[in-house]
Parts: sequence; C-alpha cells; structure tokens
Amino acid sequence: MSILSGVVIGLLMGVVFGFAFEKSRMMEPGSLIGQFQFRRFIMMKMLFAAVATSLVVLAVLHGSGMVQLSVKPALIGNMVVGGLLLGVGIVMTGSCPGTAAAQIGAGYKDAWATVLGGLIGAAIYGYNQAAIDKALDWSGIGLGNLGKVTLVDLVPGGFVAWALGIAALLVVAMYFLEQAFPWRGEIAADEKDTAASAPKNSRSTGRIARA
Amino acid sequence: MNPLVSRAWSPYAAGVLIGLLQIPAFLLAGTALGVSSSFVTVAASLLSFVDSTALAIPYFKSHVSSAKDWWQVALMGGIVIGAFVSVRLAGTKRPAMSAFWPRVAGIQSFGQRFALGLAGGIVLLLGARIANGCTTGHGLSGLSQLAVSSFIAVTAIFVGGIVASMFLKKV
Repeated sequence: MSILSGVVIGLLMGVVFGFAFEKSRMMEPGSLIGQFQFRRFIMMKMLFAAVATSLVVLAVLHGSGMVQLSVKPALIGNMVVGGLLLGVGIVMTGSCPGTAAAQIGAGYKDAWATVLGGLIGAAIYGYNQAAIDKALDWSGIGLGNLGKVTLVDLVPGGFVAWALGIAALLVVAMYFLEQAFPWRGEIAADEKDTAASAPKNSRSTGRIARA
Repeated sequence: MNPLVSRAWSPYAAGVLIGLLQIPAFLLAGTALGVSSSFVTVAASLLSFVDSTALAIPYFKSHVSSAKDWWQVALMGGIVIGAFVSVRLAGTKRPAMSAFWPRVAGIQSFGQRFALGLAGGIVLLLGARIANGCTTGHGLSGLSQLAVSSFIAVTAIFVGGIVASMFLKKV
C-alpha cells in the first residue's frame, strides 16, 4: 500500500465509519456517558454487533491463513493506567478519539476542543514516552509485559472455535439487551438533547420509525 | 426508504457495518481498525514546524513514516466527512454543543464546555497512547482478536468511565 492508496482507502473506509457513528447516535455524549451509568445501551449494542461481526470476519480471514492477527502487547501497567485515563477522558469529553471526528462532522463545535486537547495529549506522551512507560512497568511486582498473547494462547480450542463461540454469545446478549432496552426508544430519548434544532414535523418521527 | 437519508439506524446495523470494515483494514491496509495513533501522526507533523528535533524522537518518528500512519489519518478525515454527509442527507441539525452538557454536567456556557473538552481531550489521548489503543483499537479490534491486552484495557476503560460518570447527573 502506497501512501496515496492508503489515504484513498482510509477516506472511503472513514466515510462508512462516520455514517455508522452518526446514524446510530453512538457519537452522542449521552450514548457514551449513559453507557457508563448503565442507563443507555447504544454503545454496548453497537460494540457487541461490531465485535461479533469482526470475530466472524477474522475467523474466516485468520482461520484460513489469509491474514496475520495484529495483537497489541499486554503491558499490564500501561493497559490499566491508560485505560483508566481513557475512561475518565471519555466522560470529560463525551467522546472518544474516533467519535470526536464524527461529532465535528455532525456539527458539534465543542468537539474541536476534544481534538485539540487530543493532539496536546498525544504530544505530551510522545515527548515523555520512555519515562512514562518506565514508570508503568510493573515487572517488579510480577505485572510486567505478558507479550502479544491472546485468549487462544492461554486455553485450548483454537481461534476459530473461540471466535465463533464468543460471536454466538454476543448475539444472545444482544437479543436480551434489545428486549430490555429497545433501540428505537433509546434513539428517541437521545433526541431530547438535540431536540432544540431537530425537525419537529411528524415526518421526522416517521423516518426514525421506518429507519 | 433509502437508509442514507433516514435519520437513524439501529446500533446493530451500524455495528455490523463497522465490523465489516475489518475486511479492508486487514486485506488492504494490513492492520486492524484503529484511530488514536493518528493523533500522534498529526501532532508530530505539526510539532516538526516548531521543534526541529521532534521527528528525531523515536516515538514520533515511528508514527509519520509508513502508509499505515496516513491511512489512519485519512480514516479520521473520512469519519468527519461521513458524519457531515450523513446529517446533510437526513436534514439532522445539531447545536454548537449538545443540550446534554447543561442538563447533566451543569455546563453554563460554550466557553466552559470548551475548557472541559480541551482538558478531557488531553486526558483521553494521554490514556489512549499509554494503553496503545482506544475504544476502536482495543474495544473493537483487540477484543475481536481475543487479545489479553485489550481485555485488560477495556475493563480499565469501563472502570474509569463508570467512576467518572458518577460525578455527573443521571443521563
């Protein structure tokens, strides 16, 4: 992949991504923070659907040997501290790195602050990477780097069986989530926050109902 | 009805679509879906204008050299375009900031919201770079590769988010 073809492929994939983030309302602050309060489930539903699909895709592509996995090393200190900060950052911004781009496209002006702050955060880490990673290396207490391990390395069964099994479990979980929290109701609740400028005619509700 | 002009999609349909993006990601870009390292690529490129030594730092240097880096920056740009076209086609309009903020966080003005968003953005990307991935890289791609690193990171993201969200009113 050349840089030019990479950019073209990235743009096309991004457009699909952006549509999905906006139409599903996953990019709304209420979806992300509401998930952490277990009062909205759009994020979990979308994540489960995306992970289940992705598991099936990788069961085929990786199971057939067409592609190698791209697993990140399990540096425990980095995962724990980075993850905690990321969770706090999601609540402060009402966004995550990908949805910040969708918020900008959808017209939220405050998302520019998230992206600007994000660039500063990335710069701070880049300048201090060695020191930060050294401080978060917990090998001294036996919690160092586990390496690029996957579940499959720890338990018998193989990737394809685990991937398809977990995908099936996620489908069951989505069924029960939908019974408890129907998605149309969640979208309607979400529109409270954008109602100030949402079209008020009945056609718009009709569109949601038929979407 | 044409799904491109409808105002909302089910989160399941949107999730399946995003999951299918792993196919071009692995087959064409040769990597899993991710977005947060694009912040390093852009930050490092901008810094190089004011700090001539920035690109000598190995971490910055390793994020500006390959086609994958610019693929990911383009992915972010594409997300902006996709969301923009999506709201245009559907006629959805959004205010400068979501009414969520005054209602749930007691934010009084756009300035306050901007300040919180800026501080939050720093925390967000500092966390994502320390963890080497965000909700996309760990939450979607990592979990679907059954990566141990991502199970740890996603658990930590939820713990951080749940605790922080306790400081806000109920959504």
